[in-house]
Amino acid sequence: MLTYIIRRTLYMLPLLLVVSLISFTLIKIMPGDFLTQARLNPQITEETLQQQIDRFGLDRPFIVQYWYWLKNIVTRGDFGMSFDTKMPVFKTLFMGNRLQWTIFIALSTLLLQYLFAIPIGIYSATHQYKPSDHIVTFFGFLGLSIPNFFFALVLLWLLVVVFHVGNFGLTVAGVMDMRYYGAPLTWGKIVNILWHMWPVWLVIGTSGMAGLIRLMRGNLLDTLSLPYVKTARAKGLREWVVVYKHAVRNAINPLVTILGLSLPNLVSGSIVTAIILNLPTVGLSYFAALQRQDENVIMAGLLFFSLFLLLGNLLADFLLAWVDPRIRYD
Amino acid sequence: MKNALILASLLVLTSLVVFGQGYDEQPADSLVYPIGVAGTVYEDMELGVRGGTLTYASIEDPKGWNNHTAHETSTTAFTNRMLRGLVRNDHISLAIEPDLAKSWEISDDSLVITFHLREGILWSDGTPITADDVLFTFNDVILNTDVDCNSRDGMLLPDDTYPVCEKVDDYTVTFTMSTIFRPALNQLGFNIMPKHKLAQYVHKLNPAVPVGTFNETWTLDMDLTELVGCGPFIVTDYQPNVSVTMSRNPYYYAYDPAGTQLPYYDSEVTAIVTNSDVSMLKFRNGEIDVYGLRAEDIAILLPEGARKGFQVLISDAPAFGTTWFLVNMDIGLAEGTDAEKREVYRNVKFREAMAHCIDKETMVRNVFNGLAGAQWSPVSVPSPFYAGRDYYGGPITENNAVAFEYDPAKAVSLLDEIGVVDADGDGWRDLPSGDPLTIEINTNDNTIRTASCLILVDDWRAIGVNATFQVVDFNTLVDRLFGASGDFIYLGLTGGNEPNSGANVYNSCGSLHAYRYSACDEPDEIDLRIDELLGLGAGTFDLDEAFGYYTEYQQLLSRQLGYIYTVVPTFQYGYYDYVGNAFKSQPDRTPSRYTGLLGELCFDKRL
Repeated sequence: MLTYIIRRTLYMLPLLLVVSLISFTLIKIMPGDFLTQARLNPQITEETLQQQIDRFGLDRPFIVQYWYWLKNIVTRGDFGMSFDTKMPVFKTLFMGNRLQWTIFIALSTLLLQYLFAIPIGIYSATHQYKPSDHIVTFFGFLGLSIPNFFFALVLLWLLVVVFHVGNFGLTVAGVMDMRYYGAPLTWGKIVNILWHMWPVWLVIGTSGMAGLIRLMRGNLLDTLSLPYVKTARAKGLREWVVVYKHAVRNAINPLVTILGLSLPNLVSGSIVTAIILNLPTVGLSYFAALQRQDENVIMAGLLFFSLFLLLGNLLADFLLAWVDPRIRYD
Repeated sequence: MKNALILASLLVLTSLVVFGQGYDEQPADSLVYPIGVAGTVYEDMELGVRGGTLTYASIEDPKGWNNHTAHETSTTAFTNRMLRGLVRNDHISLAIEPDLAKSWEISDDSLVITFHLREGILWSDGTPITADDVLFTFNDVILNTDVDCNSRDGMLLPDDTYPVCEKVDDYTVTFTMSTIFRPALNQLGFNIMPKHKLAQYVHKLNPAVPVGTFNETWTLDMDLTELVGCGPFIVTDYQPNVSVTMSRNPYYYAYDPAGTQLPYYDSEVTAIVTNSDVSMLKFRNGEIDVYGLRAEDIAILLPEGARKGFQVLISDAPAFGTTWFLVNMDIGLAEGTDAEKREVYRNVKFREAMAHCIDKETMVRNVFNGLAGAQWSPVSVPSPFYAGRDYYGGPITENNAVAFEYDPAKAVSLLDEIGVVDADGDGWRDLPSGDPLTIEINTNDNTIRTASCLILVDDWRAIGVNATFQVVDFNTLVDRLFGASGDFIYLGLTGGNEPNSGANVYNSCGSLHAYRYSACDEPDEIDLRIDELLGLGAGTFDLDEAFGYYTEYQQLLSRQLGYIYTVVPTFQYGYYDYVGNAFKSQPDRTPSRYTGLLGELCFDKRL
């Protein structure tokens, strides 16, 4: 198993290289560059613009720019500076606990999704075609089909305009009140974070839950029709033992695999929600770099998201081997 | 709001640790704002009390704390509150007034400006502010080509030289110019930076650091206790994507007439809110005190104001800036195509026809909910040089306006006159030769501009001009603008007080003379006169004389119809009733980025 993981990790390097080349090409194909905004400023002369072009090396041929970018990473581990903030790219992306918040939001959402989706899926399967099955399925799909940005805005609007939470001193959006940032962890801070996090969990969580519910339901239904379940029932086991001890244990395997795959989605897929709900995540600083065409930061962000994707896949394969004794990688 | 008070008291405590104690007594040379003094522009303001926290919202994170390497307003919104220059544009009258300099003289030949600095005033860490700081900022930062500084270009005189800055004594500096250039006085209001903190990062002064170190100085990740300024507030805390907290500078040199040191507020907190809809919700939720609102917010906020205790303030005149479309008179010139179309575009009667077909009233009503005004001049309406006034700084009368009133019938007759008629009977007007005439107007993805273009296109199509509208990516649009490869382009530019700051756009060789770049090589009489007038207006310190030149310039340019002006939004924002003196604003700020509120003069009425 260990050699397998090492091998897979090594495979990532050429893959990341290809990703970087494609990303770099795409950035260069985009019309304009970091200085396009400056060109529209009547106060800036041609000479100044040319100086900046030289400084950033923007007029060198594409492949030369890529070569220097790659060379600096390989020889010096230097991913470059942000044109905008004049700080190293990862500092620009991660500054202010953005990485920690991104991981916290992704993991906590994932946990909650599974915590709700699995029981609902089981319930739905054991109550197949009953009205309650239709109702939970309906709400699952509702969560899937409402666009996240819209759902988030509607939630905030409800809180402010309908429930007037401001009258109770409550604030909306963000992950906590401004005064708690940088303050030591207290119960008041934890309660405050929970108050700010529930809309996040609701918006991001519901968008992925329908799939999980359907998957759990389908798998369990398949498993419940297998001969060994009939045997279990025939030998007089109680229904909950049949379902939970025999069927669910086998039906849950694919969901464990998907756990690994949904991690990267949660990191890169929640950018829109982060914009509306003002979450200090890597996605938001990446989005700011995209808007300004801050090339080095975009590249670093893309590599970061790709790395998450590859790690998620690795995790999925690893988990599959772990939960399913039939799978062997050696 | 209790939370805000706790926050404020915390901030006061920390600021005492970080900063010095402040002046023992009001410095003799302090700047006194005539708040509440009859006969001044500040007469309707009230004296305030010190304390409290004022909360804003900003749509973007700052990119650093270094004023002279900053490239965008999301950064300068903060550095402009931390730093001050020798002179300032008065917040309300917009006239040039003393700031770090208590006075100045202009030599008889108008080539030397001597500034006398205030004595005994200090940086926020207690170090005296002297002529050395001015020299450092000008010679070693702004004019230093190692420094990635945009304000250097603003200092350039018409003869491509820079003013020479020299020290007379610790509190006197002179700027000597090789040519008379009045806008220089305004430009010399650049923010002064502290030499004792920053000289060590300039390669020229400290060869131990590599070239360009200054560009990477005072970045977002710096130790904020190292920040030193001379403005009313200093940044003391930054949480990425969350907030910027600024605390009062204990050594700010401005006072009110009662002897209270400004600013009144202990701190200002700017919440960073990426989405404007969410900013508005936060304002309605009482989380932010002042909100630079959008036209579409008015209908929601106006009825709610009385109940929730806030005001919505709408300026009566348009804000700074211009909005226009251009007819590319060089279309196809580089490729040797479109010769006939170019011929038509270069005919001023064609452009007049287009200009007569702009329904500005409908635009103002439908696109801006009535919160905009018609525009005809290249100079922003609030500028004292705006030719809609009768004299420098006078009230707006529009007596001298060159307005092309909305008159489709006139447009029809103009087009008929130049032979742009429907030759083949397909319902669309053709070029004089009979070839079809199609026009494409481009703008970027911006709801306001898109809606405006749709109105334009509707009006043109109604008189038989086959116009279409296409949204293109902003960068593509800019490429078309600079490559003269567009057809009609709809965009806007920022504006200021001084017409000469638009020289890059309106001078026939300007880099943004986008309606006809070829004018640089083959200028006509009008182009030459415009170039001349721009120079004459800037070459005199007599404001009335300059106003005369600039009026002729504005009228000529408007008749030439290179850029054809449409409408500009007014400036509006909402503030809670408890924010004292909030009704005065600097309308030259983009509402969505920064409210333009005079934070240093506002106070909390509840204290």
